[in-house]
Amino acid sequence: MKQPSTPDPEPVRDPDPLPERLWHAVADGDEERAVELVHGALEAGVTEETLLLDIIAPVQERVGAEWAADRISVAQEHAATAINERVIASLAHRRPHTRRRAPHRGRVTVGCVDGEWHAFPARLVAETLRLRGWRVDYLGAQTPTPHLVAHLHRTDPAAVLLSGSIPTHLPTAHAAITACQAIGIPVLAGGRAFGPDGRYARALGADEHAPDARGAAAVLEAGLPRPRPAAIRQASEDLPHLADQEYTMVVQTRPQLVKQTLADLEARFPAMRGYDDAQRERTAEDLAHIVDFLGTALYLDDPEVFTGFLTWTAGILAARNVPAHSLVTGLDVLSGLLRDFPRTVGMLRAGTAALGSRPFTGPDTRA
Amino acid sequence: MTNKTPAEFTLIIFPEPTTLTVRISGELDYDTSEDFVHVVVRHLAEHPRPHDVHLDFHELTWIDSTGLSALLMIHRHTRAADATLHLDNRPPVLDRILLVTNVLDHLTTPHHTRAHPSGRPANDDITGTGSF
Amino acid sequence: MPAPADGLSAPAERLRSPDADRRVGETWTEAPHPVLVVDRHGGLLRINEAARHLLPAAVSGDWLHERVPAWLADAHQRISDGLRRTSAGPLTGIINDRLFEAHPTEAGDGDVVWWLADETERREAETALGNAQRRSEILSEVSSALLSTLNVPRCMEVAASMAAEHLAEAAVLVAPPQGRRYALTYARQGGPTTQVTRRVDISGVPGLSEALQGFPPVPARWINPDDIPDWVIPHDFAAPVGSVIVAPLPGHGVPAGALILLRSSTERAFTEGEEIFARLFAARAGAALSAARLYSEQAAITATLMRELLPPKLGSVHGVEYGGGYRAAKEQERVGGDFYDVHPGADTTEETLVVLGDVAGKGLEAAVLTGKIRNTLHALLPLAGDHQHLLDLLNSALLTSHHTRFVTLVLASVRRHAGRVRIRLTSAGHPAPLVVRADGSVTEVPARGSLVGVLPRVKATTVEVVLAPGESCLLYTDGITEARGGPLGDELFGERRLRRALADCAGMPAEAVVERVQMLVGQWLGPARHDDMATVAITAPRSAPAVVAGGHPRGRTRPRSRGQDSRRTP
Repeated sequence: MKQPSTPDPEPVRDPDPLPERLWHAVADGDEERAVELVHGALEAGVTEETLLLDIIAPVQERVGAEWAADRISVAQEHAATAINERVIASLAHRRPHTRRRAPHRGRVTVGCVDGEWHAFPARLVAETLRLRGWRVDYLGAQTPTPHLVAHLHRTDPAAVLLSGSIPTHLPTAHAAITACQAIGIPVLAGGRAFGPDGRYARALGADEHAPDARGAAAVLEAGLPRPRPAAIRQASEDLPHLADQEYTMVVQTRPQLVKQTLADLEARFPAMRGYDDAQRERTAEDLAHIVDFLGTALYLDDPEVFTGFLTWTAGILAARNVPAHSLVTGLDVLSGLLRDFPRTVGMLRAGTAALGSRPFTGPDTRA
Repeated sequence: MTNKTPAEFTLIIFPEPTTLTVRISGELDYDTSEDFVHVVVRHLAEHPRPHDVHLDFHELTWIDSTGLSALLMIHRHTRAADATLHLDNRPPVLDRILLVTNVLDHLTTPHHTRAHPSGRPANDDITGTGSF
Repeated sequence: MPAPADGLSAPAERLRSPDADRRVGETWTEAPHPVLVVDRHGGLLRINEAARHLLPAAVSGDWLHERVPAWLADAHQRISDGLRRTSAGPLTGIINDRLFEAHPTEAGDGDVVWWLADETERREAETALGNAQRRSEILSEVSSALLSTLNVPRCMEVAASMAAEHLAEAAVLVAPPQGRRYALTYARQGGPTTQVTRRVDISGVPGLSEALQGFPPVPARWINPDDIPDWVIPHDFAAPVGSVIVAPLPGHGVPAGALILLRSSTERAFTEGEEIFARLFAARAGAALSAARLYSEQAAITATLMRELLPPKLGSVHGVEYGGGYRAAKEQERVGGDFYDVHPGADTTEETLVVLGDVAGKGLEAAVLTGKIRNTLHALLPLAGDHQHLLDLLNSALLTSHHTRFVTLVLASVRRHAGRVRIRLTSAGHPAPLVVRADGSVTEVPARGSLVGVLPRVKATTVEVVLAPGESCLLYTDGITEARGGPLGDELFGERRLRRALADCAGMPAEAVVERVQMLVGQWLGPARHDDMATVAITAPRSAPAVVAGGHPRGRTRPRSRGQDSRRTP
């Protein structure tokens, strides 16, 4: 997301624009200052939606980017996110006192895909829709699908907004989308997981896709028709390539694949035999991620899910001065183990090519 | 294949005149504890009252709080039958839960009211007002 | 007459064979079909026995058009005029209330032999079959649409709109009364559905109060459309009502409502078949509506009970941050055997009591026990200063001869003093709390004790911990360390990994500590099943808290607090 081009609400004598100052407050873990900045801007006449989407959201984007570039620690990243969340909560909290406006549009549900911990984008959407007059039920991070469905039966909303950031949750998202539609509730998918231009949202049969909170509001304002009950379908109807069972096989044998690849890597890189438990476990986790993304690419039959993850990982490793050759070797070992599965081998080949041609292009190349 | 296949839970009973030995293997948890209590209690009732009940945990692979609850229940029954409970061949997973919850002494202190010097029952009675 | 096995055109093909002519003379008089031989001028030359039976008045020499309906006479005329070929296939029409297929064949000299095949029964059977197929398709569509939702208003909307689409011009679904009001759902063919709740006099509609009580329906022909009160008729229903069906919606034991179907006087009245079909439709709708109502009632009861059992939202209390995380083993039940509570002290000088515990067992049954324990502890709060006493009282409250279900828990009495947070911690058979220091080192709090609820006495030790700004104390249940998964599939998350995760949490706000632990364990698990998991972080804030409990900013640079503001207001 770009820095806002909206007029700077701060007085001219102020050297730093508001987003810059908010970033520093958040990165320093100074919640007090962050809250103060945002509320000051509000009093100076900046609208709440502008604050949420053009000030706070870019700061949160920057938190992620700075972590990826290894300029802030995990602790700082978590603390910064928590502070941003609280800044939003403080805005929401003062709202009833100033603008006591009853929701006039209708009821919608906002939630994250099961397993998805990145709730911030969903939170922004929920608050934006509230500001636009919707009655919003915000279910928060990682909403188990049975819980989501029970909620929908109870409230019968006009739509479900399903947020996902990490592509590996897309198969779960697919089940959730199908379940919502089966009870006649249209699904609006959003978040980075659904791919550039929301192509995976379409592949998984979501009724609509929105790239951001304003887009989501626009889709809802235009109206979403209810899916017919005839829309009840099996995953394989949306994705006929699943019939080759390669996705199922890769996902089910993940532990064995990781174990075997780890052993082969140790055979090829004598230095790895000297790894301590923590290093070994981190390598195993990296391999598990590779297999997860490989599985997701097979599920969607789109190598870009896989290549995007690999180039992003290579960027992360480069920022930490870790050579990425183990990635290439890992793919090589997996290709050997999975040689009988043509679609899988194709994905792995695409992954190797991507690592070779676009070495470590930086942190933010993930789809 | 990623889902753990729960190790099979088996009980092997060796009833002898003064000793009842039960060999437990597998996972003693939420799913298996009820059967465990049931089987041991039935054998306690059926066989001539043993002085000692040995639970052999050599092949125990897992125990959770419901499993521990089962051990406490079996202890109540052995005590009622004037038998001493022995927890043999304890794997680390069992030792750990016994340590954290601090009940090893309670479970294994020899208990024979007949042999008690003062003749009064050990300070082990349920004196609570609990109705939960 | 047996229908030809090989389709409609077969008799025509056979009859048109080149030598039909010659054979006619021998056999046609005995043919079971009516047969007419007509000359090119339209005069009847000969008719057979079956034709005489059909047209008793006809004799040779009559004009065809005087004896048969125009469709047949006209067709003959067209053939004679060369405007239609006999090979063009059979015609269909009514003669004396029966449906005939008329097959013409040429008989020389311009004469035409008309073979009439009675198709009445077959056509009726086909129509009936078609209707039955259409209706069963509608019923199956209705069922899947109705069963897809368990939301009562939505279910009524679907039922009314489908009734208007397939059965009538308009439909009104009347739900059983709530007090003296009725929820009414109006639908019009091709129009929107509207729902209102209002007081109406149902006795004005013949058969409606009976239908709402589950009595058999009143036949449509007994209902005089003029008697229908205005509230039944949708606003945009223009023409006067012509016919009405009132069908009960049978429920599970109790009626689920009634369906009123309306057709305007410009349309034909409901037939008996349609009335039967309407009842079938109503049966499906009633079953679906009852299921939805039952579900909603159960869900409402569950939600009410659940509200008491769900973990509380935590925040800042008296200058100390609290964060809580909860994940139930049975995710759809959302509650389980783990629990936590924060009971704020009366003021900043009083200790705040934090309790985190774990009851053996899973799901609702365990959750109910946690509710009782939480209530008991709440009642014992005045004694919270003495942890040992509190545990003894709880122990005797829980002891019972019926079972050996126990609880393990950690008690933490927290107070902020001079920028530091002092915590008195007591463990009763529970995993020891961990402390993360500002430098990232992680230590275990050496609090030990026995479980509660089975033994005659609880033995426990209390340990004091002091947190400097940015330091946190984590209370957790064993569901965290016993989470199975990881890259290799079947490993425990374990205390070592928990400590490592916590080492990264120095300086984090309490909710971020909890979120990080939960996230790492969640990723470790993947989709694997797990036990209940609860965590509470107690954190000494790095700076003075910027947000007080209500969430209002209390800025350093803004000396006026809200309290002062309100005092200044007259």
